[in-house]
Amino acid sequence: MRVRDVTISYGGEPVLEGASLAVGEGRFVSLVGPSGSGKSSLLRAVIGLQAPLAGAIEMELARDEVGILFQDDALLPWRTARDNVALGLTFRGMERAKALDEAEAWLGRLGLAGFGDRFPRRLSGGQRKRVALAQVLALKPRLILMDEPFASLDAIVRARIIQDVVGLVERERISVLLVTHDLEEALCLSDIVYLLSQGPRARITQRYEVPIPRPRELIGARVHPAFAPLYEKLWRDLSLEVEGAARAPAPNDAEAA
Amino acid sequence: MTAPRRYAWARQLLALAIVLAVWEAAGHAGMLNPLYAPRPTQIGAALVDLFASGSVWPHMEATFTAALVGLALGIAIGIVLGVIAALVPLVAELIEPVMTLLNAIPRVILAPLFVIWLGIGLASKIALAVILVAVLIFFTVFSGIRQVDRRLVERIVTLGGGRAALVRHVYLPSVAAWVMGSLKVAIGFAFTGACVGEFVGASRGLGYLLSFAQSTYNSALMLAIVLLIMIVVLAIFALGGRLERHLLRWS
Repeated sequence: MRVRDVTISYGGEPVLEGASLAVGEGRFVSLVGPSGSGKSSLLRAVIGLQAPLAGAIEMELARDEVGILFQDDALLPWRTARDNVALGLTFRGMERAKALDEAEAWLGRLGLAGFGDRFPRRLSGGQRKRVALAQVLALKPRLILMDEPFASLDAIVRARIIQDVVGLVERERISVLLVTHDLEEALCLSDIVYLLSQGPRARITQRYEVPIPRPRELIGARVHPAFAPLYEKLWRDLSLEVEGAARAPAPNDAEAA
Repeated sequence: MTAPRRYAWARQLLALAIVLAVWEAAGHAGMLNPLYAPRPTQIGAALVDLFASGSVWPHMEATFTAALVGLALGIAIGIVLGVIAALVPLVAELIEPVMTLLNAIPRVILAPLFVIWLGIGLASKIALAVILVAVLIFFTVFSGIRQVDRRLVERIVTLGGGRAALVRHVYLPSVAAWVMGSLKVAIGFAFTGACVGEFVGASRGLGYLLSFAQSTYNSALMLAIVLLIMIVVLAIFALGGRLERHLLRWS
C-alpha cells in the first residue's frame, strides 16, 4: 500500500499536505506526530471514509482485505460480543450459523471464550477492545489500519493486548499501519516509523528504520541496544516539530484563529 | 440520618393512608362539602358501583380502543415521517415546519375540529390521539436519526455493510431505543387524546362519562373516573416497562 502526496482538508486550510508513505507486505509501519497533524485523517483516507483533496492512495489489495481498528471500540451496543464479531462475516455472505461459529472461535483465540453472549456494556474496556480486534481479524485482512487503538486502555491491559496483536500479525504476516502519539509503542512494534510535523499543513518529515529483530516481545524490544538511541532521536525530532510550530506560527494561523 | 431507600414505598403508602384518613375524617366532621369534595369511601363506592352495574365496560372499551389504536397509529406515523424526513432533506423542509407548529400548540384544541370532520364516533378520538402521539414520536425519531452515532455508521461501512445493513443494524435499533424512551409520554398522550375527544363530543367512553358526571354535578363519579383512568394508565405503563426492558436489555 502506498500513499502518494496526499493532501487532506476539511474545507479551509489542509490539515495534512503532500504526505507520502509506503507499507510493504507483512511490515509494521507507524505514523507518529503531535495532535492535530492529521494522522487519523490519513487513515480515514486510506480506508475511504475521507476523500483526499489531492494525491493518490495505491493499493495492491482488494478493499475487503483491509481492516481498520478505531480508537474507540464502537461495537453495536444492542448486539452481543459474538454477534458483533459475526457482523462483518455475514456482510460477506457467510451463513449466519457459520459466521457465529467463526466469531466464537475468534473470541476464543483472543482470550474471550465464554463471553460471546455478553452485551458490550457488560464487558470491560480491554475486553471490548479484544472484541473489536476479533471483529477485524475475523475478516482475514492483509492490512490493518490502527487509529490509536490502545490509547484508552490502562497500562497492564494495554501491554497484554499489544503483545497479543504483535504475535498475531507476525504469525499471519499481516501488514499494519499504526497511528499513535506514543513513541515507545511505535518503536516497540514497528519496522518503520514516520514522523509527522505539527499541523495544520502537517508533513511527513522523517522516516526511521527500526532494526529490532522479530519475533518481538515488548520488554525485549525495549531493552534492545537499538531502542534507546532511536527513541532519543525520535523524541528530539518530535520536540523540535512541536516547539518550532509554537515559536514560529505560520502566517495563516492568525487568520484561522 | 437518611432512611433506607428500600422502604420508600412503605413511607409513600403510609403518607397516602394518612391523607385519605384525614380527608375521610374531615368529611365525616362536616368540614368538606360533599357536593365538591366527597369522601374517599364515597369515591370508592362510586367506582365499585360502576363495575357492579357493568355500565363502565362499554365506556372503557371505547376509550381503550381509541387510545391504543391512536397510540399504535401515532407511533407508526411518527416513525415513518421521522425516518423519511431524516433521510430526505426535501421532505424535512416540508414536514418540519408543520410539525414544529403542531408541537408549539396544545394539540387538544383540535378536538372540536375533529368532531366536526369525523363525527362523534371513534374516528375523531383516534385522530386526536394520533396527532398527539405522532408529533412527539416524529421529533424523537427525526432528531434521533440525525444524532445517530457516526462511529457505529463508520464501523458498519468499514466492515463491508451497505445501506440495508446500516438501516438494520444501526438505524432501526437506535429508533427503537428512542421510541422506547418516549413510550411512557406517548401512552399518556394517547389517553389524553381519547379522553379529551370523548369529553368534547361522544356518546361513549370514560371522557364522555366524565362530562356526564360534570353535567350532573356528581363529584364522586368524576373522581372515581379519574382514579380509574390512573389505574388503567399505570397498568399500561407497567406493560410498556416490561416491553422496554426486553427490547433494551442490552443497555
